[in-house]
Amino acid sequence: MKNNEFLKLSAIELISGYKKGSYTISDVIETALEHIEANERNLNALITPMYEEARSRAWMLDAALSRGEDMGPLFGVPVVVKDNITIDGIRTTCGSRMLENWIPPYSAHVVECLERAGAVIIGKANMDEFAMGSSTEFSAFGPTLNPWDLSRVPGGSSGGSAASVAAGYAPISLGSDTGGSIRQPAAFCGVYGLKPTYGLVSRFGLVAFASSLDQIGPFARNLSDLAVVLQVISEADTRDATCVRKERPNYLDFLNVESLKGFKVGYLSGYESMEIDEEIKRGVTQALRICQDAGAEIVEVKLPISTRYGLPCYYTIAPAEASSNLARFDGVQYGFSVEAEDLQDLYLKSRGAGFGPEVKRRILIGTFVLGSSRYDAYYLQAQKVRQLIIREFDAAFSRADVLLMPATPTLPFRRGEKMTDPVKAYMADLFTIPANLAGLPGLSMKISFSHSGLPIGVQLVGKKFGEGDILKTASVIEKVIGPAVTTLGGDRK
Amino acid sequence: MSKFIPVIGLEIHVQLATKSKMFCSCPTDYIGVKPNSHVCPVCLGLPGSLPVINEKAIMLAIKTALAMRCRVNTHTIFHRKHYFYPDLPKAYQISQYDLPLAVDGHVEVSADDGSVQKIRIQRLHLEEDAGKLVHSAASGRLMGAEYSLVDYNRAGVPLMEIVTHPDITSPRQAREFVSRLRQLVRYLGVSDGDMEAGSLRVDANISIMEPGGKYGDKVEVKNMNSLRALERALEYEYQRQSELKSEGKAIVRETRHWDDGANVTISSRSKEEAEDYRYFPDPDLPPLVVDERIIVQLCKELPELPWEARDRFMSDYGLPLEEAEILTERRDVALFMDELIKHGAPVKLASNWIKTEILRVLNEKNISVEELPIQTAEIAKLLSLVDKGDLSTTAAKEAFSVMLEKAVTVEEAVNVLGLSAGRVTGHELEIVVNKVLSENSDVVADIKAGKDTKGKKLKFLQGIVMRETKGQADPKEVQSLIMSKI
Repeated sequence: MKNNEFLKLSAIELISGYKKGSYTISDVIETALEHIEANERNLNALITPMYEEARSRAWMLDAALSRGEDMGPLFGVPVVVKDNITIDGIRTTCGSRMLENWIPPYSAHVVECLERAGAVIIGKANMDEFAMGSSTEFSAFGPTLNPWDLSRVPGGSSGGSAASVAAGYAPISLGSDTGGSIRQPAAFCGVYGLKPTYGLVSRFGLVAFASSLDQIGPFARNLSDLAVVLQVISEADTRDATCVRKERPNYLDFLNVESLKGFKVGYLSGYESMEIDEEIKRGVTQALRICQDAGAEIVEVKLPISTRYGLPCYYTIAPAEASSNLARFDGVQYGFSVEAEDLQDLYLKSRGAGFGPEVKRRILIGTFVLGSSRYDAYYLQAQKVRQLIIREFDAAFSRADVLLMPATPTLPFRRGEKMTDPVKAYMADLFTIPANLAGLPGLSMKISFSHSGLPIGVQLVGKKFGEGDILKTASVIEKVIGPAVTTLGGDRK
Repeated sequence: MSKFIPVIGLEIHVQLATKSKMFCSCPTDYIGVKPNSHVCPVCLGLPGSLPVINEKAIMLAIKTALAMRCRVNTHTIFHRKHYFYPDLPKAYQISQYDLPLAVDGHVEVSADDGSVQKIRIQRLHLEEDAGKLVHSAASGRLMGAEYSLVDYNRAGVPLMEIVTHPDITSPRQAREFVSRLRQLVRYLGVSDGDMEAGSLRVDANISIMEPGGKYGDKVEVKNMNSLRALERALEYEYQRQSELKSEGKAIVRETRHWDDGANVTISSRSKEEAEDYRYFPDPDLPPLVVDERIIVQLCKELPELPWEARDRFMSDYGLPLEEAEILTERRDVALFMDELIKHGAPVKLASNWIKTEILRVLNEKNISVEELPIQTAEIAKLLSLVDKGDLSTTAAKEAFSVMLEKAVTVEEAVNVLGLSAGRVTGHELEIVVNKVLSENSDVVADIKAGKDTKGKKLKFLQGIVMRETKGQADPKEVQSLIMSKI
């Protein structure tokens, strides 16, 4: 096998190769690291590559393998982790000057899970600062580019995680999704990206953006890998009070379906009149047809409140929580700090210089809407709308098992295109935000490529803890159109 | 000036006696501990860390709420209260706002006319403490300090805040209320209630009311580290406000600090610009749902409350109020009194013994009754000996100290002291009396001459005999012997 063929393999294929002794973990990791080194100047998908850590871990795992030790479900699999998820001893920047040199003394729950499963973390992925953005252009460490077209953005905020998987840095990665930050870049980079149900995956060690919306989830190039990672990271954790204790199903079981008989796929009507890319609309239709051919009943579903009020609701609640979560970055205990005259000066200068423009904008919005005289009119009102959105989804799921809709209104946009108009940029999350507000799981996956060679994504949204329904539907689609591919060439479909 | 009536409401922060902090598993002790040694990512507010509610703290707070006859909210929410300060690691404090753990209770205190008055409890809620700033200046204050250090050991320690209605009408009553509350939390084992150490902190809101019923602007007084300081600070503030009012001057709404050395309150910051804390429900903590059954269970487990014990001591033991108060001040002492009586000690003697000997030892050694190295039954036995006249009070005290020191029984103590050889009585005692009288013939002459109108000289002779017999004579026998010989 030619070395760079490793880069196209799935996690499951890699492990079966290790088992057969076809190659070592060190062979694979070394190939991945060389590939990263060669491509990072263009792509900038990683803020902190972990060359040394990855090499020594690969060496240790090879030794464990030779001793015949038990192999975890991600044994020797290279993984990229978004840089707002802590790893003990490795700096966690959140794409911000504020945390440029912050080294956490503890690992996130999901990182502990990955390590127990045998994964080799090879780098920390680039992202919009504190996960605020849809293009990874708001990173203090420079933008990540879309590996399919370097003049375009990879989406965001988990742009680095999505681009890493598309570019073959690793078969899987972790991102976080507050308003679409996994699903939108997954669509832009032509890979799978799943935002689990709120409360399924522990947030312990995820630097909070908006605590009631944030959820960690996986990126992969095929559903089996995605299901394995979900299984690994969704282990219950008492350190996150919002993480549910209920037993998780075996997610791989949902992938062995031949038919969708008796299954209802909801088709989101009423969005055609909106400004949606024609090729994306066709992608949704194509996905629906596949479901129908597999025996699913297609039902029409309307989500007028979510579509109309989701965005303003989100842009009230998320900044409110962000303004609170980011208050701790004050230059006192850790992080960016400047010489100052007095305490007030320290706060103003440290926060003034440590945060980028988008983060400041959201802190200002959030501080505004939480003010005691404005709380009722903004924050409380948004919470009421959020309840309506939850009810609207409840009604929709009384008719359908999953909902199929666009992941994004547009194909990957050009770099710099939406930097100047924040509202336009916020529109990129139109279809992804409602699932966060309602706490529902959502998957985006590549359905095809546009004429211009850009990935086209569609989104599946499930009931609370309905990850299984999503995987079932997606696997039927995957069987027809095949898994996602890397940009390494030869197999673009 | 007496035409003004003080209107006082209190806000009391009580540090709960849990092993771990409010939202993490770090230990709660911070006094005499190396700075920043009892910390973790959660109480340091490190990015990515999350709080988890300490159930023990909830239980202790509910117990207190039930004892104060509050209504416990089975559905309660934690809010974030935002402000920037270096001792607050997250720049917000997790506290409770519009859905506190408990509301609407009361504690009884005495009114100035001696009748019983209810002080209504507005709310009881839980929150986390902040860290501590250590300023480099010699004064220990921020002013003039070259630098300040932060110790986060206290950050995240559970606090229970109790807020009263402005029902308190005198500084004395404020003191009584706090003293009752302190007694209560100690009875319940909810807190050590140590005001000096800061585990019970009182802020007072005080205004004065004119005879017509018009309320004045209220002033918040802080930094009162003892019951005495609380009473004096409120006295001072009442005088100050009354004088201002009498002179037709305005009372400024502000926070004032009590200066214990100078005996004055000092204005610390104006409250005109009320801070906006931007309260909102903490999204990291789902609403806390308290099972009704837990509340019922805690209700059943409530011990006899201090005021209940006091009333029982008065009715069952026939003790006067003052004595019953002393004996029920501490729960361990009240239980000990009951035990002594159960073991057959006479009430009056047991009460006196506790007030003098037991409380002295407990205070000197700073221990609880449980930590006494003597069995309750042994102390009861000792008291019975005194009661029967087999041992004088002096001898009993000596025996008691031996028992304490050597952890021995009454018999052993009596043996050690040689008190067991039998009492000095009859002929043996007569010899001692004769000897004392002949050695003090001048005093005897005085008494004979009728110069001992107050009986002091007789007592003097009696004392010498008692000393000579090492306290093993019956004072009454000594007295009658002396009398018969003069």
